[in-house]
Amino acid sequence: MWKATLKGLLAHKLRLALTAVAIVIGVMFVSGTFVLTDTLHNTFTSLFNGIYQHVDFEVRGKAAFSGPAGTAVRNPIPQSVAQTVGGVRGVEDAVGGVQGFAQLVAPDGKAVTTSGAPTIGLSFNPVSQMAALHIRDGSPPTSPDDVVIDASTAAKYHFHIGDRVRVLLIGPPQTFTLTGIVRFGTANNLAGATLAAFDLPTAQKLFDRVGQYDTIDVLARPGVNLAQLQHAIAQVLPRNVEVVSGQTVAKENTNSINQALGFFSTALLVFAFISLFVGSFTIFNTFSIIVGQRTRELALLRILGASRRQIFRSVLLEAAMVGLVASVVGLALGVLAAVGLEAVLNGFGFGLPSGNLVFQTRTVIVGLIVGVGVTVVSAVSPARRAVRIPPVAALSDHDVAGAESSRRRIAVGTALGGSGVVALAVGLTAPAIQLVGLGAVGIFIGIGMLAPLVARPMSGVIGRPLAAMLGIAGKLGRENSMRSPRRTAQTAAALLVGMALVSTIAVFGASVSRSATSSIDQALSADYIISSSSTAGGGNGEISVSTASAAGRVPGVTAASTVYSGEFLFRGSLSTLTAVSADHLADTIILRMNSGTGAPALAAGELLVDTTTANSDHLTVGSSVPVKFAYTGNSHIHVGGIYEPNSLLGSFLVSDRFYQTHFDNPLPIALLVRTTAGATPSSTRAITAGLKAYPNLKIQTQAQFKQSQQKQVNQLLGLIYVLLALAVLIALIGIVNTLMLSVFERTHEIGLLRAVGMRRRQIKAMIRSEAVILSVFGAVIGIVVGTGLGVALAASLKQQGITDIVVPGSNLIVFLIIAALLGLAAASFPARRAAKLDVLAAIAAQ
Amino acid sequence: MTLAPDPSSAPAGPAARAVDLVKTYGKGATVVHALDGVTMQFAHAEFTAIMGPSGSGKSTLMHCMAGLDVPTSGQVFIGDDAIDALDDTGLTKLRRDRLGFVFQSFNLVPTLTAAENISLPADLAGHKVDDAWFDFLVDQLAIRDRLTHRPTELSGGQQQRVACARALIGRPDLIFADEPTGNLDSKSSGEMLSFLRRSVSEFGQTIAMVTHDPRGAAYADRVVFLADGKIVGELASPTSDSILEQMKLLGS
Repeated sequence: MWKATLKGLLAHKLRLALTAVAIVIGVMFVSGTFVLTDTLHNTFTSLFNGIYQHVDFEVRGKAAFSGPAGTAVRNPIPQSVAQTVGGVRGVEDAVGGVQGFAQLVAPDGKAVTTSGAPTIGLSFNPVSQMAALHIRDGSPPTSPDDVVIDASTAAKYHFHIGDRVRVLLIGPPQTFTLTGIVRFGTANNLAGATLAAFDLPTAQKLFDRVGQYDTIDVLARPGVNLAQLQHAIAQVLPRNVEVVSGQTVAKENTNSINQALGFFSTALLVFAFISLFVGSFTIFNTFSIIVGQRTRELALLRILGASRRQIFRSVLLEAAMVGLVASVVGLALGVLAAVGLEAVLNGFGFGLPSGNLVFQTRTVIVGLIVGVGVTVVSAVSPARRAVRIPPVAALSDHDVAGAESSRRRIAVGTALGGSGVVALAVGLTAPAIQLVGLGAVGIFIGIGMLAPLVARPMSGVIGRPLAAMLGIAGKLGRENSMRSPRRTAQTAAALLVGMALVSTIAVFGASVSRSATSSIDQALSADYIISSSSTAGGGNGEISVSTASAAGRVPGVTAASTVYSGEFLFRGSLSTLTAVSADHLADTIILRMNSGTGAPALAAGELLVDTTTANSDHLTVGSSVPVKFAYTGNSHIHVGGIYEPNSLLGSFLVSDRFYQTHFDNPLPIALLVRTTAGATPSSTRAITAGLKAYPNLKIQTQAQFKQSQQKQVNQLLGLIYVLLALAVLIALIGIVNTLMLSVFERTHEIGLLRAVGMRRRQIKAMIRSEAVILSVFGAVIGIVVGTGLGVALAASLKQQGITDIVVPGSNLIVFLIIAALLGLAAASFPARRAAKLDVLAAIAAQ
Repeated sequence: MTLAPDPSSAPAGPAARAVDLVKTYGKGATVVHALDGVTMQFAHAEFTAIMGPSGSGKSTLMHCMAGLDVPTSGQVFIGDDAIDALDDTGLTKLRRDRLGFVFQSFNLVPTLTAAENISLPADLAGHKVDDAWFDFLVDQLAIRDRLTHRPTELSGGQQQRVACARALIGRPDLIFADEPTGNLDSKSSGEMLSFLRRSVSEFGQTIAMVTHDPRGAAYADRVVFLADGKIVGELASPTSDSILEQMKLLGS
């Protein structure tokens, strides 16, 4: 039986190879993700371990609370602690360090921007043994005029030693002399962040840390018992200051990087899952086709004494072999993809430390299990159908249809689809993302099983215009697609899923985009939004505090409000606090108050909350709530007003003055500016001129701000579309497969048509019509289902700020047209093949 | 030749028999009696030809005898075993171990070579092929030089000889041959029938052959005539002429 299976495999090389592409792509995703993240994990771990190799201890403020993504919010410690620690017996050296915001200005006058990574300023540790930064060229900073920067930034922006370099800081920008180029451990920079280092006293001044340190690095004397030393240091530390080993810090740094990598790999694995899921429909279809084609052969094997189990196993074995080969290819391609992706990331300015590719056994095992598993599971149903072929089918001239009750299929399909809808609904309200995914899978499989019910009438309707346009060729194509509703539905199922996902994303994205603009409309009265150009669209890039006064001095500006955003504990749970200026509040922000007051309450140092929070926490004006700030600790705050929810403003609002006193050296994320003349070119010119000392600023009118928000959403959508395009590609392969079979099965018929005078062109048109009907059928159902899913998804995120639900009709129509065109493309090879058939041989074939 | 089974070791009863087989299709007014109470025996080492016009029930009889189709009523015995008592696994084993098949359309597995096709039943059963018997059959059927070829590379006659070797390789209790010469030219037909004849006379094989070629049926020990699902005549030691005569008689 082995032999028969293997030979059977070889006989269907082309069809199986096409099918295998689905598995190859899925496994490639999986292995590429693993290889890339494992490699990055490894290099970052060794990078941090190297950096902290000689730092025995780090003294630092205790974490007030854990911020987002596990980062700790810490307060600075008094400078005197360094002396105290230095006096502990066994301590060789204790060197303080500070960190802060420092953004470089390139020689061309433009601010040096990153793709999301921070622009870090820090003090240069002269004790080279413990230093994270190592001088590569030049000399370390020793005077208030000196700065050293990281090697990647220096290379990318053509900085040279001796250059005068402008640096944007918390306060007004300053100019320094570049004395050296540094590396971060062994890397040219730190995952895309830019580094500017100053000597310690200068850094303390620049980062508003006079008399304070953020951390103290401690070097132990050789031969000292480290555990005892750590204990001894801890004894002399003030409250709220802790001492941890260098290894601990290295581990913490590695962990936070890993967490970020975790999100990245999860996102990629979701697409891997989608490819494999869509692929499983294609595999199912291919194996159904193969079983159908081999009915006689399988029946013959049964006559000759093959047991049902042998037949079942042979089909599954065939699937396993295909899965195995495809997985191995996928694994190999995944490594290439990881290398490529790493290069792309480096190209985007992430200075990834170089490290050897990590190819773990786990990658191979998971890749093989997933690849082989998906293929085998998808082939189970066709294998069961193969088992049901009666032996006598080998002897009868006409095909004995595999009698599977369609009633059972409808029942199972309805049950699956129904439970999918329930799971989705529960998952969306819970919210539990796994349930949402599971629900979607259930719905897709259910619809796949039910689709044959509508395949015949829908193909008929879709095919009618083709029949009218193309005459007999279109008519035959239509008939062919109606001939086997089940096969039509099976073939279209993969495309159905692909198009459904694309439509879901389209609806969701349009809703997000519209909600973002409408929240801007409802919340902003300012004419200009000024933010950092470091992150696209006015995200969390920081700007100097001094920009506000600079903007306020611009003629024609009537109000300039600073906007802050940071984390605090609201009744013990981590929340985001937004701050705006209470002065001229109405000129920059629209607050629709439900109760209490807006500006007066803010000016009085009270908290404003939105109605959602007020309702869920049973708050009214005058309520006193416990809050905690990292800098100032626990306190209570009065609720001074309750406003209509707006995703731009967030749920908690205080005045900028309150924020400044409760946060350590906060940097604004934006300026809101109102002018007498409104957003006019002359106002824009005046503001640009007034702020030209800050080249990191992006000055946008309200309309431009809206556009950039939309652009951001669209960029993300574009990326998702590209990844989903792979799923659609896999679906197309399924269509090519079915059409090839169609041509093969109808060799005799096509020969006959040619014999009675059908031209090659008409044969091609016939095959193409069938393909277009197939793909439009899948696309129509997919778009309908996807629109439903997208609306459900968007509706469930109303609390998160998706207030508007938009169905982008024109986009969906474009998808439909693209699907039809893709169908045409899928038909090209089968159509050519059909047209090339030798008439005489085709008639002889039976 | 010691390869042939010793006739004296054969069991006493018939190799197979059908008892009052009835097979009907459809219901009510449209009911068709494909078999209408057929009772017959196939003795060991006997070559039986079953003849009859199209629709007489020959194929149905064979399908029911081989456990490929289930009779409406009546019983089939292979040796002493009633096959209606067998489930699918039992029937599969029965076909694999005790029956052989030769078809009109050869029915070789297209992806396997001739040699692989011949040993397929043994492979399916997980048995080792009797190499001496294999060699003997291959030589007798003159297909040694074709063993590594695929069915598509063989002539019709060669394909049918491969199928014949496949049927014989397991020394089944009974071989069903369904119009084995229907797709062959007269020369190949003659060779095929001679070989079947020899396998009965020399190796003690039992064969039931469905045919409508009187010359082919003349190779048999006995001809059973079927019409409208009933046995309508029988002829022992037939010749072409006696068969034609009988057919004429029945045709009137």
